[in-house]
Amino acid sequence: MTTEALPRNGRSLDLPERAQRSSVAAIARKELRDAIHSRWFWMWTAAFAGLAAVLAIAALPGSRIAGSASYGRTAASLVTLTQIIIPLMGLTLGAQTIAFQRESGALRFLLSHPVNRTEAFWGLYLGTSAALTAASFAGFGAAGILTALRSGSGEAGSFVRITLLAWALLLAMVGLGMLISTLARRAAAALGSAVFVWLLLVFLGDLGLMGTAVATRLSVSALFFSTVANPVEAFRLAALASFADSFDILGPAGTYAADALGSALVPVIVTILLVWVAVPVSIAWFRFRTRQDL
Amino acid sequence: MKTLLALVLALASSVGAGAAAPVDDLQALVDAAEPGTVIDLPPGTYRGDITIDKAITLRGSGQAVIEGTGTGTVVTVLAPDVTLEGLVIRNSGDSLDREHAGISVKAPRVRVIDSRLEDVLFGIFLYQAPDSEIRGNTVQSKDLFVARRGDAIRMWESHRTVVEQNVVDGARDLVLWFSDDVTIRGNLVSNGRYGLHFMYSDRATIEENALIDNSVGAFLMYSEGLRLRRNLISGNNGPSGYGVGLKDMDGSRLEDNLLVGNRAGVFLDNSPRSVEQTFEGNLIAYNQIGVLFLPSVRGNAFWNNTFLDNTVQVGVQGGGQFGGNTWTRDGIGNYWSDYAGYDADGDGFGDVPYRLDDLYDYLLDRNPELMLFADTPASRALDLAARAFPVIKPRPKVEDDRPLIEPPAIPDPPVPLPTQSGRDLLAVSTLMLGVATATILSTRHRRSLP
Repeated sequence: MTTEALPRNGRSLDLPERAQRSSVAAIARKELRDAIHSRWFWMWTAAFAGLAAVLAIAALPGSRIAGSASYGRTAASLVTLTQIIIPLMGLTLGAQTIAFQRESGALRFLLSHPVNRTEAFWGLYLGTSAALTAASFAGFGAAGILTALRSGSGEAGSFVRITLLAWALLLAMVGLGMLISTLARRAAAALGSAVFVWLLLVFLGDLGLMGTAVATRLSVSALFFSTVANPVEAFRLAALASFADSFDILGPAGTYAADALGSALVPVIVTILLVWVAVPVSIAWFRFRTRQDL
Repeated sequence: MKTLLALVLALASSVGAGAAAPVDDLQALVDAAEPGTVIDLPPGTYRGDITIDKAITLRGSGQAVIEGTGTGTVVTVLAPDVTLEGLVIRNSGDSLDREHAGISVKAPRVRVIDSRLEDVLFGIFLYQAPDSEIRGNTVQSKDLFVARRGDAIRMWESHRTVVEQNVVDGARDLVLWFSDDVTIRGNLVSNGRYGLHFMYSDRATIEENALIDNSVGAFLMYSEGLRLRRNLISGNNGPSGYGVGLKDMDGSRLEDNLLVGNRAGVFLDNSPRSVEQTFEGNLIAYNQIGVLFLPSVRGNAFWNNTFLDNTVQVGVQGGGQFGGNTWTRDGIGNYWSDYAGYDADGDGFGDVPYRLDDLYDYLLDRNPELMLFADTPASRALDLAARAFPVIKPRPKVEDDRPLIEPPAIPDPPVPLPTQSGRDLLAVSTLMLGVATATILSTRHRRSLP
């Protein structure tokens, strides 16, 4: 695919900033609309909302027996579900954006309009993120309503914090997916890599650390920091802090972290997550802007 | 007797005159009283510290304040058969070494009833005070770091004492030493270090207490014949946050307790030494670890208990050869919320045994730092993989041949379990659904590229 034939979109650079913004918004809106008209969007939404609802209902007998102590358990299950589904959604759909659109010619069509590559990139990012935000908010909303209605017990503050953290995780994963998309040569490779990265973040990383901890007696500080460097784990630990009384429940590594970081514990973990939100998407943007062959 | 009444009247009028200044002569009043006298203190502030060395009753209807000097124990009781009732006792010294207390008792058959102790280091200290009664009091310690506080109620060689309906918030421990046949009933102990702690105290009855949000719920050591019934023990989450910890105990019976949301519901260390211990009808729910054993512990029997959604249902600290505990009695097992079997014949018992042999649990027992990964998809994947490909087959920690299909009736808690209104959650969740819907609808009527 040669890019020399593509018009160099210098024109819109001269436009006022408002026009640039509006073209980002227009691309985002188109991306969002395409997403919502696709089957996968409804599949993800139904899967996430459905599973979240099942979790909320499954926790009901417990909440009748043990009052609000059961909220921690509902929240923990919801966090586990989020850990699996949100990264899969974000990574696969982020990976599909640029690589798929390039293969189908949609990207060339898009760039033939008076938009520059920066606008196109952020439009795609925002549109995909908006669609997934809707999917995840629908899931959390459904689970929250069921928990509140059926058991009359729930901690709104913690629930909102978990939702916002899940949203940050989602943005991080879309960004990482788009980075994969700019690195991969073909669409299939992008999707395959995205699934592999998902496996790595959700399963293999933790399993590797567990194995290392058992085999080499890894120090608790090394164990904690190599765990929390993973954005999926950063999400989990920050979410856990919203409903657990203390990090002591995480065993020696949790006690170490609470002692070592004190009141900075949650801010540090959230910062790690936000770095994951900002950095991959920025690299992806840089690559997309400078590499005309993409 | 007449002089005494006159004195009380004089005191009353001086208080009535509106002076909030402490009345000086409480010690004189006590010194002047004959044994057996009931002294009704009118509302007002009386200056401590005082010592009572004869069998009198001091009654304050909740509005007589004995204000300590802040340098020692406020009320010291040296004679048997003293009753202190309806008093407010404030401002002890703060020396842990000298055991500065609100009330210090060194004689038998003393009653402390319906009194309030505030800003005291130790609350009520019984030293060789058998057959005493501590009922309906409220104790608040000084606002110090928890280890620097004193114990709300501390008993030493005070057999057959009854501690009933007291409320303790933010003290250090409620602690008993060398006191046999005591009854601890209906107390509420919260935000301290040990909700209840005793050593060398045989045949204690502990029932209907609520031990909530302490570092440790009840830690009971070196005693025989404990009966622990219908207590609510929840939210005890310190680094060794055990709901009930039993160390070197014999023949304990735990029945119908609610052990909810602790770091470990029950912790067993070398208990029993020889006489079997039984656990029947308890709710063990939402703890990080339901029951935590040291590996050498054997001789405990569990039946008709509800093991509900503990992150780890049964843990063995340090792994090792674990066995010799019973999980079924008279054909009745326990309810396990993670039981995956079935009940085809409909007799209420699972047709396949409940076995706890997860690989992650097995690794966790030997490597406690892996608790960092509890509840992760990775740890669950590990269990699934181990089940599908049983290369490593851990020996089951628990084998319950008659697991219950439905949880048994849950005992009523002595105080209501905390619940929260779902209204706020409903509101924010609806808002989230609204955002999702608005996002989806926003694409409806607009056209795409400019």
